[in-house]
Amino acid sequence: MEKITLASQLLQYFITGLTVGSVYAMVAVGFNIIYNVTEIINFAQGEFVMLGGLIMVFLHVAMGLSLILAFPATIVLVTLIGILIDRLAIRPIRCPSVLTLIIATIAVSIIIKGTASFIWGKNPFDLPAFSGRNPINILGAVIQPQYFWVIGFLVVTAVALSIFFDRTIMGKAMSACADNPNAASLVGINVKQMVLLSFALSAAIGAVAGITITPISLMEYDRGAMLAVKGFGAAILGGLGSFPGAILGGLIMGSIESFGAGLISSGYKDAFALIVLLVILFFKPSGLMGSVEISRIKRF
Amino acid sequence: MLRIDGLNASYGSIRVLKDVSIQVPAGNVVSIIGANGAGKSTLLKSISGIMKINGGRILYKERNIAGMRTNQIVRLGVSHVPEGRQIFAHLTVCDNINLGAYHYFKRSNRLEIKERMTRVYHMFPILEKRSKQIAGTLSGGEQQMLAIGRALMGRPELLLLDEPSMGIAPLVVREIFNVIKQLNQSGVTVLLVEQNAKAAIKVAHNSYVLERGEIVLEGSSAELLNNPKVKEHYLGG
Ligand SMILES: Nc1ncnc2c1ncn2[C@@H]1O[C@H](COP(=O)(O)OP(=O)(O)OP(=O)(O)O)[C@@H](O)[C@H]1O
Ligand SMILES: [Mg+2]
Repeated sequence: MEKITLASQLLQYFITGLTVGSVYAMVAVGFNIIYNVTEIINFAQGEFVMLGGLIMVFLHVAMGLSLILAFPATIVLVTLIGILIDRLAIRPIRCPSVLTLIIATIAVSIIIKGTASFIWGKNPFDLPAFSGRNPINILGAVIQPQYFWVIGFLVVTAVALSIFFDRTIMGKAMSACADNPNAASLVGINVKQMVLLSFALSAAIGAVAGITITPISLMEYDRGAMLAVKGFGAAILGGLGSFPGAILGGLIMGSIESFGAGLISSGYKDAFALIVLLVILFFKPSGLMGSVEISRIKRF
Repeated sequence: MLRIDGLNASYGSIRVLKDVSIQVPAGNVVSIIGANGAGKSTLLKSISGIMKINGGRILYKERNIAGMRTNQIVRLGVSHVPEGRQIFAHLTVCDNINLGAYHYFKRSNRLEIKERMTRVYHMFPILEKRSKQIAGTLSGGEQQMLAIGRALMGRPELLLLDEPSMGIAPLVVREIFNVIKQLNQSGVTVLLVEQNAKAAIKVAHNSYVLERGEIVLEGSSAELLNNPKVKEHYLGG
């Protein structure tokens, strides 16, 4: 048997951290999309991940749909749920303040969780890995191929979104809605449509995260809340609203957790990430990539 | 071009506009003067659809636009520069200007957008210098110019200006009034709301005086500038 060196052990922790971190990053990106359009923190963000995982299990494992079909079908279904949330929980609120809307998203997350436990029960579900479970040996570290799928999908979503928000007028229009909804409608932007689009987009990204991580860590009905907390931490760490920040924040949170669990104690892994979050915010309140210029004129 | 008949609007139970009727002929500058709280901004908001009205007709090019959604009204050529520089503070100056063209932003309109942008930058050269700056960090006057520039990107045929000179240095105010004149000469109809009554009446073909939600006086510049009541209340004696 090969000797496990410290270096290969560290590499193992690092890659595990990046994988977990990729999921946090995707959740954080989802937070940012809705936040950038509405200034709402959508606490149901973690539920999209959970739904992505469980609906994928249903379509792929229970119904026997092939991976190629089940993957987009799951994304479409979760996106529809995101659209429903906007239609049923966000839009009907009269004279909405950001705070009442945030509370509405908390209610939504509780309802989704309850419904999921009713449908799927309380047991975790497994999903076959996309390209098998034969581990790859890299410099002594043993890596599941699924890890690369997770990281790869993070890269794809990150690139697609940064093009969308930085280079297209639609993306700019979405940001304009958060800034000043009245002025946005004065230049011809249909603000309600943009809010809807933001919920649809972040639901889709949540679904991708859920589908890709389930083969590694299984999925059960109540995973959403913890994912939301970590993802929110990652978003804050990177600077709320910043996409590069969300990705950096997610990867840092994931790595700290992984190293903390491996080198110190796995019992405290949730605490490590949050402590680092607090320390960084103490020194840089606008987050790592948050623009100080912009955070000064933000309401939150 | 614009005719308003018997417009009523209220915030909750407080009536802010009472049977307001005005006319803005095509090609004219019409200004509305009135004290704080008279309802001037509310009138403009009613036209652009931000404010829900309780009754009356708003005929724009013979078509009743009352009750239409704001984002549709812009498409018809009505651009509203709201009170207090409502720019997109987190976006860059350049993004703000581009978003002004949002409702016709297509590849096939690229040339037109570029042309309009050049014209805006020509009108307000400081905006070109600041084009990559975050708009919220501009000075108050620069933000006002940006708000006007953004509205000009929207193919306005009728421009609604709400106190464009508020909080702006006298020299720049003159510049802004010049811009209004220029725009009018290029064919844009303007409905102007101003505290600066003298300048507003002078630049306008026709003016209205709004008091506590009611139109109390109407007339040409010459008539109003010589009206004793206007002199006393709005021109400082
Ligand atoms: N959102 C609101 N809710 C309640 N009342 C309002 C609201 N906006 C304006 N009002 C009231 O309506 C009246 C008219 O306001 P409006 O803003 O139209 O005045 P204005 O003529 O533009 O004044 P100013 O010259 O100070 O800008 C005021 O008495 C104001 O207090
Ligand atoms: Mg006003």
